[in-house]
Amino acid sequence: MIGYICKYAPVEILECMGTEVKRIEPSVTNFNQADMKMHPNICSFAKGVLEELSGGEYEGVLLTTCCDSIRRLYDVLKKEFPDKFIYLLDTPRISGEAAVELYEKRIQKLVLAYQEFSGKMLDEEKLRAYMEKAKASPKLNLQKGAINIGILGARANETILEVLENKGVNTAFNLTCTGIRHQFEMTEEPILRILSRGLLNQFPCMRMTDTANRDALIRKFADSVDGIIYHTVQFCDNYSYEYSWLKGIEKKPMLLLETDYTKQSYGQILTRMEAFLESLGKEDKNKDKAIRRNGKVYVLGVDSGSTSTNAVIMDQDRNLIASKVIRTGAKSGESAERILKEILSDAGLKREDLSRIVSTGYGRVSIPYADENVTEISCHGRGAHYFNNQVRTILDIGGQDSKAIHLNEKGEVTDFVMNDKCAAGTGRFLEMIARTLEVEIGELGRIALESKEHIEITSMCSVFAESEVISLIANNKEKADIAHGVCNAISNKAFSLLKRVGLKETFMMTGGVAKNPGVVKCVEEKIHSKLYICEEPEIVGAVGAAIYALDHFTGEA
Amino acid sequence: MSVVDSYINYVKKEAIERPEKSFGKVVFGFKANKLKTRLLPRREIAKGYQRLEAMMMSLVADALAKEDSYVWGNIFAPAEIMECFGLKTLSVECLSCYMTGYHLEDHFIDYAQDLGIAPTLCSYHKTFLGAVESGVLNTPFYGVTTSLSCDGNLNTFRYLDKKQGVPFTLLDIPYEDDEDSVNYLAHQIKELALQLEKHTGKPFREEKLRTILRTENETREALIEFFDLLKERLYPAELISHLYLMMGVHLLIGTEEFRDQVRFMVEDIKQYPKFQGKKILWVHLLPFYQDTLKAYFNSSGKYQLIPSDIVLDSMERMDEEHPFHSMARKIIHNVYNGSYQNKAKWLQRLAQELHPDAVIHFCHWGCKQASGGSVLLKEAMKEEGIPMLILDGDGIDKRNNHDGQIKTRLEAFLEMLEGEEE
Repeated sequence: MIGYICKYAPVEILECMGTEVKRIEPSVTNFNQADMKMHPNICSFAKGVLEELSGGEYEGVLLTTCCDSIRRLYDVLKKEFPDKFIYLLDTPRISGEAAVELYEKRIQKLVLAYQEFSGKMLDEEKLRAYMEKAKASPKLNLQKGAINIGILGARANETILEVLENKGVNTAFNLTCTGIRHQFEMTEEPILRILSRGLLNQFPCMRMTDTANRDALIRKFADSVDGIIYHTVQFCDNYSYEYSWLKGIEKKPMLLLETDYTKQSYGQILTRMEAFLESLGKEDKNKDKAIRRNGKVYVLGVDSGSTSTNAVIMDQDRNLIASKVIRTGAKSGESAERILKEILSDAGLKREDLSRIVSTGYGRVSIPYADENVTEISCHGRGAHYFNNQVRTILDIGGQDSKAIHLNEKGEVTDFVMNDKCAAGTGRFLEMIARTLEVEIGELGRIALESKEHIEITSMCSVFAESEVISLIANNKEKADIAHGVCNAISNKAFSLLKRVGLKETFMMTGGVAKNPGVVKCVEEKIHSKLYICEEPEIVGAVGAAIYALDHFTGEA
Repeated sequence: MSVVDSYINYVKKEAIERPEKSFGKVVFGFKANKLKTRLLPRREIAKGYQRLEAMMMSLVADALAKEDSYVWGNIFAPAEIMECFGLKTLSVECLSCYMTGYHLEDHFIDYAQDLGIAPTLCSYHKTFLGAVESGVLNTPFYGVTTSLSCDGNLNTFRYLDKKQGVPFTLLDIPYEDDEDSVNYLAHQIKELALQLEKHTGKPFREEKLRTILRTENETREALIEFFDLLKERLYPAELISHLYLMMGVHLLIGTEEFRDQVRFMVEDIKQYPKFQGKKILWVHLLPFYQDTLKAYFNSSGKYQLIPSDIVLDSMERMDEEHPFHSMARKIIHNVYNGSYQNKAKWLQRLAQELHPDAVIHFCHWGCKQASGGSVLLKEAMKEEGIPMLILDGDGIDKRNNHDGQIKTRLEAFLEMLEGEEE
């Protein structure tokens, strides 16, 4: 079996020669080989392909000169696997006749090389018949009554398509290279010329020079769907340009989704996609009647975060009956059981008095007693609106991620961005630094307010920043000044998230870090506005979950 | 605070607060610096590098001051063609470096990232995009770039074409080194000349191109002589001097001014004493502002850096009789084109000629082609018995460097080199 990765690869040739050809879709648990043989800062897809190839399933791989990372991948594979068929096809970036002729010659060379490797011969007539059958241009497939989503950007992997399918969402188009099929205009010309022309003139990707018809088709398709998922791959930068351009002109809701081809990133992808689909507003059609106790309806919202597990009980009039915040500890399931017991006892209620339970947060799927789970993004939106209906922008900094959310006047999420897969700008980062400075995490912010000297922590990476802090300690700098520098670094990250959703007043801050007066002050200085912070900023997500639970019931008892 | 620092701070503030009104102030500062490098050259570097610095200051200050006198390019754009029309080429890399003179790189990088540009993109490109999109940098009438070595070029130029209306030509550089590739590229270079004819209203004269290529050959001869002398003479430089040389070799190649400059350096270096320290072959870009590297290598008598691929990336002898084909061949033969094994072999040959004591490969943040090949290169150097250090950092964004890490790695490496001698 020969692997390939690029839609410009003439896979028809190998298939016609009786070779099984498979598009490589890496799903790996680590980049051990790639980090050692290439470099960590290479496109995650290229690193994933190297890991897959090391697995031994493939006899070879057909690559194209599609980008810098793939060119280097070829160099490394060629050296690592001298006995495999490792081929790099020099693919033009323009599609005119000169390029068609050049590419035809390159394909001829490929044929010779593969014939030599495999001992098989190419039958051109067979290829012609094979190519005649291939007919599929990018299609728009809208489904009435369903949410219609379009996928753009870099190669959308199976995970994204699966999540959409499982959610009952219709993928109206996939214009990434995994959604494109070849088609050829059959003429009397030599067959490899037809192949070359067909490949170079297909719906272009970002490596091609002329993308005018790409832009036109994207705009046309985008207009007809409910939302767009714009996919990018970590350390592949090419598509971010198109995203940036499209964001400026496209009115449809758009989610920027970055993936890195590891199995571990599934949770993050799921949260972002679910939150996005929730923001597109799927009506809950299966409303139930609620259980009443003493004439009242009670629901529970529980937010299982990485650092704390938070819960609230609410009645049908949206009064908060009880709230609770506990540390999550090593197992989110255990703390979920514990918080249920404790909050019921605080409220003087029994488990069967609760009409419905909605869970949210990273651990939302690991709460066995929840009837439904909703992402923390939607829940923070509803929760924030509950506390203050003027709020349009939320900054939530929790233990393992930070996010900025934009709300409309109804409290619905219209846009959101989350931090990358890294601890910089999160509560974890503050905890790390507090430990280094030997202060209580709760004290860090207060100490920062006493700062007299401005220290700039320049590193964006939390690991670098920690060693920068260690150097500052070594230089005998004051704790207060270092603490302030750290709070300022967090607020820089936060500010950049806020800018990406638009700086609309009123601002609210939620999550554990909202209790840190040092960070709050630094953020307020940057946005030139006050942050509204409710009494217990850690329960906002749980409150939102409880409101979702109430939504489930019809007005009647 | 000195007058210079006050002006830098003033321009920085203006560029952030009133970007659309700051271009003139930015250019004024460049002009002042041009004057300063002429009247008060920095004595700690060799005379040849002083003159080079002044020349590179003029290039940017004069071009920016006169609309229509320049095009945007990248470092591999064929400056020879632009020269035929009397146009200067200001590259993305060069303009970004100059913006750091006002400490504006952070601001521009954040600006670009806030627009949705990937944080993992090369910082040169992000700085440039931020400078243009924020309104600080004025736009020229045209851009010329290539697909050689760097994915960012096509996308940066296309983005600015869409958003700022700067049309551009991309030369699609084939990966393979054969006559089909040469013909394909030669045709594109010819087309570029026609495009510039159209945009400038000036006729293209092949005779002028022939003269430029002749001068280019003379310059390269002098450059080879200079590097030959550099292996035995102590010629004080700063990290940034090597970048100026890179800019000259690419953006001013074929001009008499630059040929005379290199010839001056050849004569000048002969006046300097024999070099007794360690020679380090430097691969890829240099983070010219980095404290530890500056401390060890700026005007050092102990270590002399020899920039390699960024200056000597092409050794092609230009054929005046077939100018377009010759230029195509030069670009295709560039060490940044083709496989990294080619580059490794080329560096092995260079090492055999220049006898360095060590090699340092700098992996610039966002540069996939350099980072991805670093391990292959290290293995090739091992074959030559030359120790090699891989340093990770950022050529322009200080926030992607960690001084502590660079310092520890570099010092351990230098200790190792000293140890070998004992």
